[in-house]
Formats: sequence, C-alpha cells, structure tokens
Amino acid sequence: MTAFSDNKNRLVAIKKGMQKRYSENKGVFLAVVCSNKPIAGTFYRLGLELSAEGAEAFAKTQPGQFAELDLRNAAVPPINSIPEELADASSRDILLRRPFSFCDVKTQDDKTLVDILYCVLGPATLRMTTLSAGDSVSVIGPLGNGFGVPKNKKTALLVAGGMGTPPLLHLTKVLTTDYADIKVIAFAGAKTQQELLFETELAESAASKIELYTATDDGSEGFKGLVTNLLEQWFGNEKTLSAEDMVIYSCGPEVMLAKVAQIAKENKVDCQLSMERRMACGIGLCQSCAVECKVDDSDETVYKLCCKDGPVFDSKEVVFSS
Amino acid sequence: MKESVDISVDFAGLKLSNPVFTASGTCGYADELTDFMDINRLGGFITKSITEKPRKGNPVPRIVETDSGMLNAIGLANIGLDKFVEEKLPLLEEFSPAVFVNVAGETIREYSAVVERLAGEKAIAGFELNISCPNVAKGGISFGTDPAQVSKITSAIKKSAGEKVLMVKLSPAVTDISVIARAAVDNGADALSMINTFTAMVIDIETDKPVLANRTGGLSGPAIKPIAVYLVNKVYNEVTKNTGIPILGLGGIRTALDAVEFIIAGASAVAVGTSNFIEPDCAVKIVNGIRNFCVRKNIANIKDLVGSIKEE
Repeated sequence: MTAFSDNKNRLVAIKKGMQKRYSENKGVFLAVVCSNKPIAGTFYRLGLELSAEGAEAFAKTQPGQFAELDLRNAAVPPINSIPEELADASSRDILLRRPFSFCDVKTQDDKTLVDILYCVLGPATLRMTTLSAGDSVSVIGPLGNGFGVPKNKKTALLVAGGMGTPPLLHLTKVLTTDYADIKVIAFAGAKTQQELLFETELAESAASKIELYTATDDGSEGFKGLVTNLLEQWFGNEKTLSAEDMVIYSCGPEVMLAKVAQIAKENKVDCQLSMERRMACGIGLCQSCAVECKVDDSDETVYKLCCKDGPVFDSKEVVFSS
Repeated sequence: MKESVDISVDFAGLKLSNPVFTASGTCGYADELTDFMDINRLGGFITKSITEKPRKGNPVPRIVETDSGMLNAIGLANIGLDKFVEEKLPLLEEFSPAVFVNVAGETIREYSAVVERLAGEKAIAGFELNISCPNVAKGGISFGTDPAQVSKITSAIKKSAGEKVLMVKLSPAVTDISVIARAAVDNGADALSMINTFTAMVIDIETDKPVLANRTGGLSGPAIKPIAVYLVNKVYNEVTKNTGIPILGLGGIRTALDAVEFIIAGASAVAVGTSNFIEPDCAVKIVNGIRNFCVRKNIANIKDLVGSIKEE
C-alpha cells in the first residue's frame, strides 16, 4: 500500500520532491477549529477545517490514516474546572505532538473538514478541550497507511473497542458510500453504554445501511462482556458466508486486537488491524513506534514502524507480546 | 545595519553554507525529511547511527515524554552498512550539506569496518563517532566514559577515516568532560559534537515498573539545554579554544536564539535534534533566524560570534 513500489522509483520521486520541496501527499499545515464539543463523559469531538494549502492532501485521507497535532500552544483550562484526577496532568508542559486518527473526513467545495474523537486522559488532551472555533492548530498529515479494501469482498466485519472507534467510523462511512456491494457488520465494544461512541457518533445515513452489535463491560447496553466474545458467537452461528468473501477490520486495545487476530486465523478470514504505539514524530524519524512483525512464514521477526509501515497491519504479520 | 551577513562557516576544513546541522537519530537517512523541508538549506546532515550489521533495536516502549524533554531507548535500530550503501548513499550524494555518518559498534573493529567501507565515498564529508549512546548493552557509552578507551578508539578510527573529517560525539555522563574531550582531540579528532543524551529513567507508579522496556533511556529536549551550553563552554575554554578544533553544539535547541547561545558559548556550528520531531522544518527556520539575528546585531560574520561570551 506504500506509494513507492521499489527503491529506484522511490529515489526518483524523492529527488523530484527535493526540487519541489514538498510532498503533495502530506505536510505540515494549519487547520482552523470549527467546533469542539463534549460528547459523553470525558469524550470530545473536535472539528477542523484544513487551510487551503492542506485541503487537497487531507481530502485524500484514507480511514486509518492519522495526523500529528501540535497542542503546545493550547491553554490549560481554568483551575476550577480541572477534575481532581487531572490535577497532575494540568501542571505538566507538553513537548511532542500527539497522533489522532479521524472519525470523519468531508469535502465541501474546495474545503476539507476533518473530525477527531478524543478522550481526555493527560496534559495534551486536557489542553485540547480549550480549543474553540477560530483557533489555529498545526497538523502534520495525513500519515501512515490506512485500511485497504481487497477485491471481491462481500462482507466487512468491523470490530471497534473503546478509543479504537474513530477510524472505524470513518471506514463505515467510506464503505457504505463507495462500496455499495459490501455488507458492513459492526461489532462495537466499550466499558459502558455512555462510552459506546460507535453507536452515538455513527452518521444516520450509515446507520441504516449496517448491521450493528454492541457489547459493554458492565452490560449497560447490548451484550455484557467483551466485543470479541460477540464476534466469536457470530462466527459460531454464521454458516452461509464463505471466508474468502469476508474481511475483518479492527482497532482498539492491543489485547483485543490479539484476540481478533486469533479469531480471524481460526476462521481463515483476512484481517486488518490498526495498531497503536507511543510516537515522538509520526513521520519515521524517531523510530520509537516499533511493531514486531513476522518475516514471511519464518520464525524471524523485524520491527516495522507503526507510523510509516502501519498503523494498519495484516493480522497475520503482527507478533503480539502476550 | 548590514543588509547581508556571512553565516557560512569553516568546520574542520569543510566549507558549510551555514552552521546548522540536523542531529543523528532525529533525521533518519534524509529521505524521511524531504517531504517536509529542503535539505539543501542545511549546513550539515548527520545520519542515524550505522552499525556493521543491521540492528533490530529495543522492544517498546522506546520513548516517554518528560517535563520539557523526552527519553528514548531506540537501541541503535538501523539497516546496517550494506543496505545503507545500497539504498541510502545514492540519495545523500544529491545533497549539498556536509553529510556525516554516525558510526556505532560494540568493538573497535566494528566501528572500523563501517568507517573503512565509507571512507572513499564522495557523498560523505565525515564521520561522527558515537561513543556515547546510553541505550545499548555493549559499546556505545562504555567507550565514551573512559579516557583511555576514547584515546584508543579515536586513534584507531582516525586511521580508518582517511581524508574524511572525524568528529567525536561526547557523553555528558562523565565526571570531567574536558578530560574526555582532550583524549579525543589529542588522538586525532577533527571536531567534537556535544552533547549526547543523559541517561535517565521514568517509573510508572501504578505498576512500579520503569516505563521504558530498556529500563533507562537518553534524556533530550529543552530540559537539557542549559547543561549542554555549560559543557560546550567548558570544553571550549579548557580544550579547544586555541586548537582550531570546532565544536558542534547540541542539546535541546528549538529556536535560532538557542542556537546563537551555543555559538556564543563556543560552538562553531549547532545541531537540531528532538525539535525535528515536532517541527520537521525547524532547522531551516533556525538558519533564517540566525541570519536575522546577525543582521539585527550588526554581526558581519558569524565567526565573530563563536566563543564571544563575556566573562565579567
């Protein structure tokens, strides 16, 4: 899925890029905040409009690709509105950008609008909550390789866990809009009903076209238990579809992804996983986001980079630590 | 006010268009950065460490952010000498900045193998001898903290380097950095780069475990800048001032004003590291900022700024 098929073509392209200075596919751009609203609990939805320079690059964003946001200039909320559990985070400076995938990418005329779902967890996302309409944010992107749609698939199984939901919302939209002959079946899991973002943030137009199964840890909605148990049950009951007509897409906690990979293997279904790693840069410079991958079918492994080789990987190549 | 100022520098015999490098391990092999900036506007470029054989590097987590800095323990992950020559050198040949290859190894023989193979390559201006990486079990910092070892490896690699410039990268994790600097200079170092990261640790208090899989990592970023400025100034005063050996100053540089501070302290050139992760084109902004500073301060030639610190 990389842009350059072999090293020679890549060299030629890089040399061309040197003369033109910038890649057409990605870059450092400014984006203007359109909206920034709390959704539920500590979850927010941020809407950004790319500057004219970035509109074209971001219009082509594939589901699963991401951007690095510079939040150093965003303000910490006033002291009286910081919850006790974020008191420590509020006193920390931030240095590095933070990576986010998108739950939606829209184009209107020559504008490109992107939406990010985020959960307030630390100093950077705490600052993010104070961004308001008209503020500018520096973004680098779109980065990495997103989900691909293999030929001849008739059923897409989406498995979303917690904060892994956003790129699968984007994928749902793309599949239901551009791939009318692919049936989308989504399995969405979260701790509680309130955090089931897949259901609450799914566009109505897409909701009517898909089959959705939900699971919560506390049973406040849908199946009580893990979303991967739901997926296993579904495969247990499903006797008519052929494995090669199906593809699984998943994003969520790594322990969940490992289980999804195992289910995919048992059922001989192609599976693409969006992995998450700590990243300093997102553009292949820092080498910190290593994902251990098998080399063909051997016992040998290599570290690939989540930012450049991923974040979407074939489930067959990823080596899970536990 | 002068309309034009000269910010070109002579660095160990190399004529550089300006004093700004990108630091090893923060700018890949250049191809990653070309999407974001014009590499040809840099004075110098230092590759990620190259070892004789490819290295996978450490398990994750490999980084953690700290107050005004970050820890990394990548573990010298790199593609190895053969692949570097085959895949990366052809691109580096296209560049006008002075290209330094950062060289690492577990034994002097391994360092030497890399340097000997590359010493005849016209794409390369020189070598940066990495004797200060804190994140590997063997080699790295263990060479750079013992003056006898520094003498030995520097003189051995100087022979392998032939006509190329040999720059030795110093670790700050020593009692007296001037002793180490002198050992390098007396044994053939043409330049010093300083400083590498500080060995440091972050503990996850929920699990009682170190955050990094390697336990410890190297601290970089703005947090270390004042220490780096001090150490550059110390080595400039105590070792290099009267030798003509240039110092490449680095450690937490974010802006042109940070860069100027290093130059005033005694650095002939500077390198931008961690900031490349946040603003991939910041080195070019720093080049422009240094020029503007010289215009504003009526400095005709940046050489006049090197070591210009006033001591009273």
